[in-house]
Amino acid sequence: MSLIPARFARTGHRQGLHLGLIVLALAILTLSMALAVSIGEIHIPLITTFKALGNALGVSEYPLDRIHESIIREYRLSRALVAACCGAGLSLCGAILQALLRNPLAEPYVLGISAGASTGAVAIMVLGAGGGAVGLSLGAFLGALGAFAVVLALSRGASSSPNRIILAGVAGSQLFNALTAWVISTSASAEQVRGIMFWLLGNLGGVRWPDVTLALSVVLPGFVICLLFARALDAFTFGQDAAAALGIPVGAVRLILFAITALMTATMVSMVGAIGFVGLVIPHAARFIVGTAHVRLLPASLLIGAIFMVLADIVSRVILPHQSLPIGVVTALVGAPVFALILYRARPPL
Amino acid sequence: MSIQAHGVSWSTAGRLIVDDVSLAITPGETVGLLGPNGSGKSSLLRLLCGLRRATEGVVTFDDAPLEQLSRREIARRLALVEQNATTDADVTVLDVVRLGRTPWRSILSGWHEEDSAAVEQALAQVGMTTRRHQSWHTLSGGERQRVHIARALAQRPQELLLDEPTNHLDIQHQLEILALVRRLSTTCVMALHDLNLAAMFCDQLVLLKEGRLAAAGKPESVLTSQRILEVYGVETVIERSPHHGCLHVHYLPRRDTSTQAPLTPYA
Repeated sequence: MSLIPARFARTGHRQGLHLGLIVLALAILTLSMALAVSIGEIHIPLITTFKALGNALGVSEYPLDRIHESIIREYRLSRALVAACCGAGLSLCGAILQALLRNPLAEPYVLGISAGASTGAVAIMVLGAGGGAVGLSLGAFLGALGAFAVVLALSRGASSSPNRIILAGVAGSQLFNALTAWVISTSASAEQVRGIMFWLLGNLGGVRWPDVTLALSVVLPGFVICLLFARALDAFTFGQDAAAALGIPVGAVRLILFAITALMTATMVSMVGAIGFVGLVIPHAARFIVGTAHVRLLPASLLIGAIFMVLADIVSRVILPHQSLPIGVVTALVGAPVFALILYRARPPL
Repeated sequence: MSIQAHGVSWSTAGRLIVDDVSLAITPGETVGLLGPNGSGKSSLLRLLCGLRRATEGVVTFDDAPLEQLSRREIARRLALVEQNATTDADVTVLDVVRLGRTPWRSILSGWHEEDSAAVEQALAQVGMTTRRHQSWHTLSGGERQRVHIARALAQRPQELLLDEPTNHLDIQHQLEILALVRRLSTTCVMALHDLNLAAMFCDQLVLLKEGRLAAAGKPESVLTSQRILEVYGVETVIERSPHHGCLHVHYLPRRDTSTQAPLTPYA
């Protein structure tokens, strides 16, 4: 199977080709997750991983080392699943925001939505209001919505100049980062500060099964709803007025998709912290493989995002001996150069 | 059976842009919308297709008020070609023309024979059939405009609105686009700047001044020296061209020196 850009593929082969790509991506995702489960402080052979998976799903009853099985079940599998969900969700958000805002640099982190979610979550965590995973998610969600409102208000008229929204995102990020720093410096204990700082850069260490349930229950329905709007997103190619002239109820579509984006980002940030650039890099990679039509772009972003994040998690754990990097550091090290590249390519022709 | 505007006004940021305009578009005709910069041509087009909501007055399609129609119903009947609309996305000619089928496809419906037929016909009408796989970013301004018109035609509209379709094009491509629009059997309303091209290619002209209707009718009745002086402040001599039989506007250099400093001759 070769990575043929969609426009060269003949219509007859198209469906088959894309189905093949999806199967291939699912296979790579499964393998990456198995690797993520095997690799760690205690190395577990791949074959043990698959056996444990079989046992967990109730399709087999292999006798396995109980410690291995419990590490796989309780820690690594849930971590790999949440990583996959986060990658998928953030990439999906990036693809949606890039289409709605007609800006190749749009994604939750760049637009300050992640920063807003962090502020909300940190406020809940430090001030002790609510508490628990649900309270944290709620705080992050409100923060994300607040950040979204700030960015949209600052960039009114974004359709005439798509770059304004990025500048608004910069302003929003600064504002929310300042608020987060304020909450931390005035209210947090030294121990809390250390935990929060690590978490702000993205950390998959603390995730357990309830997080998996929450992540899946947000990402999967979110994906299905976004997919229903795939054609509407295509209609935004030439801007909001063009979409409206093609019969798209622009206001309602924007509201629904922005709300889903905010919800997905908030859920991810509340679980694993602000992980940057995934939503930026992955949709561009996906476009390179399947083209610009959203009915193919959205599933491709979802799958590639999941694979990318699982692999990034492996890298973050193995790159330093006996120590793991925050995953946000890994994604930023990949993402920032890609951001620069897109910026360079998007420069006006001389 | 047509689009009509009944006393339509639209204001934004406290400024009245379109001021009490009433007009009826006769089916099958090509209508030119003329007026100086900022006279409300683009805004009037957007009011006619429901992209802006009139602050006063109503726009009706076959006697039904526009507000009673859904966006999709409007898009099935009327298509808009915007001024210099472009994209960063890496799309092909075919991708863009296929967008025209959006109002005819429900969320889950597939791509039907009828959609293909509409797209093929639209591509043929603008002469882009053989270049369907070409990337948008490799097209010239005139070609992009033709693709936009094809996209609009794929909507199978009864009326086509065009906002300065010849903007930024050289004269060859201006003539080509206008001849193309003229050949269409669809009713067309287009905002134009060039009075001579408007006289050559339009059945009816609508002249706007500061958002108000200054004149409407056949080119002969709209384009008079007196009116052009009133609307544009430019002196003209208008005669029928012996070469193509349409009206031709000759612009005269400004003579009154009271409102403008005299040109200083180069030393």
